[in-house]
Amino acid sequence: MRRTMLVVLLLAIPMMVFAGGNAEQVASEKKAPVKQIRVAEQVPGLITPGVWDGQVFSMNSSIYEYLIEINAETGELDPVLATSWETNEGKVWTFKLRQGVKFHDGSDFTAEDVKYTIERTQDPSLGHLKKTDFEVVESVRVVDDYTVQVTLKEARPTFVYLFTDYNMAILSSEYDYASLGESKPMGTGPFMMSQLVPKESALLKKNPNYWAEGLPKIDQIAIYFVGDIDASISMLESDRVDVVPFITPEIQQRVDGIDGISVISPYQEQRFISMRVDEAPFNDNRVRLAFKYAMDPKVIARSTAKMELNDGVFYNETPIMNMLAEYKELPLRERNIAKAKQLLAEAGYPNGLSTELYYASDHPFGKELSQTVKELAAEAGFDIELKGYTRDVYLSQYWLNVPISITGWGGRIDPSMLLSLAFKGGGPWNESHLDEPVLNDLIEKISSEADPDQRMAYYHELQEWFYNNGPLINVQVPYLVAIKDNVVGYRQPLTMLPQYKYMDIL
Amino acid sequence: MKRLMEMFLRRLGSLLATLVVMSFVIFLLVEIMPGDVAQMILGQSATEEAVAALREARGLNDPLLERYGRWISGVVVGDLGDSIYMQGVSINSILWRKVGHSIILAMTAFIIFVPLSIFFGVLAGVKEKKPTDSIISFFGLATMALPEFVSGVILITVFAVQLKWFPIVSVIPIGESIWQNLNIVVLPALSITLVMFGYISRMQRSSMISVMNSDYIRAATLKGMPRRYVIFRHALKNAMLPTITIIGMNMGWLFGGLVVVETLFGFPGMGSLLMTAIKTRDVPLIEACVLLITVIYSVSTMITDIMYSYLNPRIRYQGGQK
Repeated sequence: MRRTMLVVLLLAIPMMVFAGGNAEQVASEKKAPVKQIRVAEQVPGLITPGVWDGQVFSMNSSIYEYLIEINAETGELDPVLATSWETNEGKVWTFKLRQGVKFHDGSDFTAEDVKYTIERTQDPSLGHLKKTDFEVVESVRVVDDYTVQVTLKEARPTFVYLFTDYNMAILSSEYDYASLGESKPMGTGPFMMSQLVPKESALLKKNPNYWAEGLPKIDQIAIYFVGDIDASISMLESDRVDVVPFITPEIQQRVDGIDGISVISPYQEQRFISMRVDEAPFNDNRVRLAFKYAMDPKVIARSTAKMELNDGVFYNETPIMNMLAEYKELPLRERNIAKAKQLLAEAGYPNGLSTELYYASDHPFGKELSQTVKELAAEAGFDIELKGYTRDVYLSQYWLNVPISITGWGGRIDPSMLLSLAFKGGGPWNESHLDEPVLNDLIEKISSEADPDQRMAYYHELQEWFYNNGPLINVQVPYLVAIKDNVVGYRQPLTMLPQYKYMDIL
Repeated sequence: MKRLMEMFLRRLGSLLATLVVMSFVIFLLVEIMPGDVAQMILGQSATEEAVAALREARGLNDPLLERYGRWISGVVVGDLGDSIYMQGVSINSILWRKVGHSIILAMTAFIIFVPLSIFFGVLAGVKEKKPTDSIISFFGLATMALPEFVSGVILITVFAVQLKWFPIVSVIPIGESIWQNLNIVVLPALSITLVMFGYISRMQRSSMISVMNSDYIRAATLKGMPRRYVIFRHALKNAMLPTITIIGMNMGWLFGGLVVVETLFGFPGMGSLLMTAIKTRDVPLIEACVLLITVIYSVSTMITDIMYSYLNPRIRYQGGQK
């Protein structure tokens, strides 16, 4: 009997301890005096600007700042660390810098820091992700403490947009980012790193010396690194976090209908369906056209994202997003199976053809989009074998070397940044292996043309070329964020950098 | 005692040999995992140049044996290296915190399931072929058949979603420690209990039955000893032996292999850390976790063997009678 009692006791004690802990904790959560927004994000990889892989946007975008930012509401450029900028025909750029700004370690922000940040892109030991973009810089001159002059090797009228890239955060020339960048990130941003538990969480506190009056509106941001999106959503449902960015459409359906939680889409991302043009079968434009005639944009929108076309999901056959000023509205290609079959027959495939489509299976919309494309194309005689791999395997082993691929591309506020990287002969991310003299020439003209009207004309010409000859289908899908209704002012422009300084919690 | 010492030393030697072989196997396995670490770290926006620079900076281009040598010589002196991502953040600072959480979870599960399953196992064995036995055996079989991700979901649905007694996700709020949040341990521990209960209670039941049918118990009963006394003083000690083996064999899993349970509940322990490490191809961290799990398995097996021979005189003295 004594033993039975012991067993019961052994079981009862921990139960009592745990139950007690629960009650206490609920109480402490309720009387929290600080205004904080809690976020569940993916586990970050590298976070030092320059080699930052673009995870945990909420953390880096709050700690670091840029010369300029995109206004999430108007899409215009807003001054941040630069107060104004001017250029002489796009070759010499002069930036006036904001005075009285301090880094989190107390040092002053000056022109030296901007010079350091730009020159750092070319450091060979770093592998800076913006190295290619900034190779055009010939020299950076510190005119005075708050004026920097950047001279380029050739005219780049849209050069200023490069400073909105998330890897171009302004760093302190006196801070040792090589050894502290990953463990103690430090910038001029509205929030400062207070506590970083590797692979688990980060606590960011309001920067008391922030230069903008009245910002940030909240006291702290608590970021949980959660590897699993389902676990993140469970945290949202059980009121442990307020924001879960980058959710999939399946998760959206799960969250829809829960009181107090909404799913918003601050911007669109691109999914490029690319055909490789230097090999059969897609080296024949008739095959490419047949493939495009087999698609049905409305069906793609509905089955990929459960949304209507032009209402959350957009579709075109060029590298230019529908929302950009440079976009030219070309007629949507009507689905025409007979025509597709005829084109295939003319190209020498009267009985259709077999090919493989590669995609990242764990990327939002990857599975849905590839499945839809496969089924639509099948009717025209394309027998597509789907090859889905996790994103890292897809990118490192297959991407850039396959007949058809579906790849996620972030939007660029200045599309010329993307064109020379992905569509010009010799570009590092040239998925389609394009090397068309006409196109190379157009891309060259776009990046060097100073007259905006003429540049726009080149853009339109480029889109027509893609419509008639291109190896690309550009499906624009929403970037989805699940968010509590009491979080107001969520802002995240096309640069993907959320602006937590404007956000508030009720 | 000398024999025991000798055996201990022999076991320790073979343990070290196992670890050396295992460390190389782990290193090789991680090496042939698909996907490129540098590419993984830099993501899609990586240029070939950036990937090459990173590979060079992290020493990923060095020959295999050189990298193994570098790693293992660090491990020997207790330096597990840096996480491939967080340069300057040693794995020691990431790992031990999580190991601590996992130990708390394992201990909690242990103090729930060991007494519970032994008690019900004994009860079923004593009441063989009676309704009590059938109910316990059925329950044991049912929980054994349910994988932990199913029983875990059931527990979450009942205790977290419906009754709201415990949190759905086992997350420690930022700035707090696990001691302020012990309630997050309960559901994962119960989930482990459900898995273990079937195994141990059934083992306990069958060994209890065979002991109860043995001659010395019959003699004790015929001699007129009270039944309770016979069960607890005479039968139980012998009937516990196979159970201890089973418990010991599962200690490795309990302390290091709870990947499924921890991932399901989002519990910040070693299992979920390993999962994250694998997903992000954080090679040094995977190696550290797996090596630690190997150590736990080997040590717990060794302890079980020693305990077993200590408890069982037939094994203890076998050597001496040669």
